[in-house]
Amino acid sequence: MADEPLIRVEDYSFRYPGSDESVLDGASLTVETDEFLAVLGGNGSGKTTLCKTFNGLIPHFFEGKRDGSVRVKGTDTETVDVGTLAAHVGYVYQDFENQLVQPTVRRDVEFGPLNYGFEDYHERAQRAIERLDIGHIADDLIWELSGGQKHLAAIAGVLALDPDALVVDEPAAQLDPHNAAHVYEQLAGLVADGHTVVVIEHDTELVAEYADRVVLVEDGRVRWSKPTAAALNRLDDLRERDIHPPQVTELADRLDLRTPDHSQRPVTVEEFVAACDTPRPTVSDGGRDDSACSGESIVSVEAVTYRYQTMDTGGGPVFDGFSLSVNAGENVALVGANGSGKSTLLKLLTGLIRPDSGTVSVVGRDTAETSPETLADEVVYVHQQPEQMFIEDSIEGDVAYYLRQRDAPDADAIVDDVLTYLDLDHLRKRDGRLLSIGQQRRASLAIALAMQPSLVLLDEPTGCLDMESRREVTRMLDRVDGRVEAVVVATHDLQFVASWADRVVVLDQGAIVADGRPGDVLTDQSLSDTTALRPPQPVSVSRRLDIDPPATTVSELAARLGGQR
Amino acid sequence: MSTQNGWLSIDRVRVELMRIAHSDDDAFLNTLDPRVLLGWYVVFVSVPWMFYDTLVLGALLAFMGVLVVVSRVNRILLAVLVFGMVSNLAFFGVVVWATGGDAVGAVRALVPYNLKLASISLASVAVFTTMTPSRLSKGLLSLGVPRKFTFSLAYGYRMLPVLLEEYRDIVHAIRLRSRGPARDGVLRWRHWWHLLWIGVRAFYPLIFDVAKRSRVTVEAMETRGFSRSLGDPSSRRLRFETLGTGTRDWAFLGLSAVFLLGLFWLRATTFLPGLR
Repeated sequence: MADEPLIRVEDYSFRYPGSDESVLDGASLTVETDEFLAVLGGNGSGKTTLCKTFNGLIPHFFEGKRDGSVRVKGTDTETVDVGTLAAHVGYVYQDFENQLVQPTVRRDVEFGPLNYGFEDYHERAQRAIERLDIGHIADDLIWELSGGQKHLAAIAGVLALDPDALVVDEPAAQLDPHNAAHVYEQLAGLVADGHTVVVIEHDTELVAEYADRVVLVEDGRVRWSKPTAAALNRLDDLRERDIHPPQVTELADRLDLRTPDHSQRPVTVEEFVAACDTPRPTVSDGGRDDSACSGESIVSVEAVTYRYQTMDTGGGPVFDGFSLSVNAGENVALVGANGSGKSTLLKLLTGLIRPDSGTVSVVGRDTAETSPETLADEVVYVHQQPEQMFIEDSIEGDVAYYLRQRDAPDADAIVDDVLTYLDLDHLRKRDGRLLSIGQQRRASLAIALAMQPSLVLLDEPTGCLDMESRREVTRMLDRVDGRVEAVVVATHDLQFVASWADRVVVLDQGAIVADGRPGDVLTDQSLSDTTALRPPQPVSVSRRLDIDPPATTVSELAARLGGQR
Repeated sequence: MSTQNGWLSIDRVRVELMRIAHSDDDAFLNTLDPRVLLGWYVVFVSVPWMFYDTLVLGALLAFMGVLVVVSRVNRILLAVLVFGMVSNLAFFGVVVWATGGDAVGAVRALVPYNLKLASISLASVAVFTTMTPSRLSKGLLSLGVPRKFTFSLAYGYRMLPVLLEEYRDIVHAIRLRSRGPARDGVLRWRHWWHLLWIGVRAFYPLIFDVAKRSRVTVEAMETRGFSRSLGDPSSRRLRFETLGTGTRDWAFLGLSAVFLLGLFWLRATTFLPGLR
């Protein structure tokens, strides 16, 4: 069958048993050999479900009412089992950690080929390992790897079966920008080698850079399918589904800039710079607000050394002589690559872990002498994985837990108020673990809000970088604004940092490499090289156009570029 | 139990467990063919029950002691084992003494039995902690144990640290929202009771989380051909390819046989009245 595409989904509908709503509702899509396809869609649009039809997980693993057909290389997926389809379509899960089932990387990569009884299983594994450039960790234990390394190991495990197509669900969600870009580079390499790659993605800037084609999924249907540039030009379509368009595209929209052939808006920094035909003179933004923050000290970390327990006792310390102080009224963003010590610092501030030496004092209490329970009267910590916040069997119970423990007289009123504010009323009886990731995140913020703290610590609150989660975090922070003394957010989301923080602390291997206003830190060229941070696009554009000092947000850059037109 | 970075913490337990499971791939016993080792183990677990003489059992224990040293068994594990043995005997002695009996005589009467237990424990520790999970499951598989079981062994090793980490996170989450005891009480018993209560409570969310994880794991395993491998002869053959006995294995078995013969000789001679 020469004309048969690699994957053809025709008018496919799927409904879970006992549900009135179809997750897929007449979806049609073809995936060609050799393309890099990005699947976009809002939370709950059905994009993951759609991709699970490609390798037969639906219908073989999810029971449900279905209609239509899915063909892989001309074969109806109904007629063959998942194991057979796996030779054609590999799947890398969003929570890829659960996909790694063997103790070491090499054993895990060999797992697939061994299961299929391939004589050359060892060579296949070796090829996949070399292809993804992870030879140096091949014999490491999986539980000791970083998130980025685990993700590559999971991809290698799928790749070892040499499938025609690879489906990767939200590769950028759990990785720092540097690791995410690295994974994308590898995926692009696979496409160049003749594989097909399908990613489910929120981050349109990565999509713009790497994908050939974009499909938008909504309400269980493929709304449209377009070449990447044309797709990302549908700004309203994207915004309606809570997907951030690339910042340069948004900027071009505001300034009414088009690519040199006048066909559409630019979608990458390169295209944007090309669209700004004339070099622009340097304009100052009239000086920044330099009023120093002079509140009293809320957090004081002094000469702290902290070391993790590792298998080989010689593991280096996370912190060695680390000091930091946060004053009342500050909105601090902690940024840095995976493993730079952000989460550890937040945990030190909660009192859950204590420094090996040095002192940590929070809201006037020394954490070495105060139990985490007592500190929690003043400090709230929102875990990176919202799931880890659920200890009761309903959202309502979770939000109320803290208040009930402390016999707060107005507990019910506060819970009602918070649930309403974050639009969780209809979910109040549900178990948090069974909600969608977006709802879980909202619920974790509700738990924090009900605690009425004076110091808020958030670990990666904007998660998969969709507009919705960013908006909710901002709403939550607005709400606590008047009451809390300080907020510290660990994040990779520099767009969020640029719009919210008034102080940015950059960590690299447990040391502070920069500490200052977002305008200064995010635009510091030397930092993006050393700490693996990808500056927001307005900063890159400013540099390319010699705008000094560089702008950090779309509005700022639009105002400055627009002013000269 | 504490969740801090103290001498006894969840993190510490996790790291020690992982050390036990994975620390030393080059340990002597791990270089042997797993089938040889399992066979050896069966023999040496039965042997102690054939003797009741303290001297012979002592020699057996000493042999196991050497093995344990050679295979570099985790010291903390050994300490726990020795502590359990000694405290058990001591406790027994104290009880007998308190009830007016002959404590020394009672303990002495228990020594042979405890020597048997000790050598069996040491043999188990030496064999099962030095074999890496993959070799152990290969060995069991080749002896006819179903693959579903041997897989769960390797998978268990993979998930153990993840589960402990998750457990710690849940304990943390509960602590950060609970109210601690207002006063610590004598020996901080309220504090410890509070932690114990949280420690137990944390299991409920853990079970939920594990169930959720397993769903993805099972799916992912299918997409990587797990079920298909169960009935596939070529897949089975490939798994055993790396197994094979060499001089090391035979030398080890020979040495053990010689030692066993020595034990029987020792037992025979100890029956001679002149030697007692």
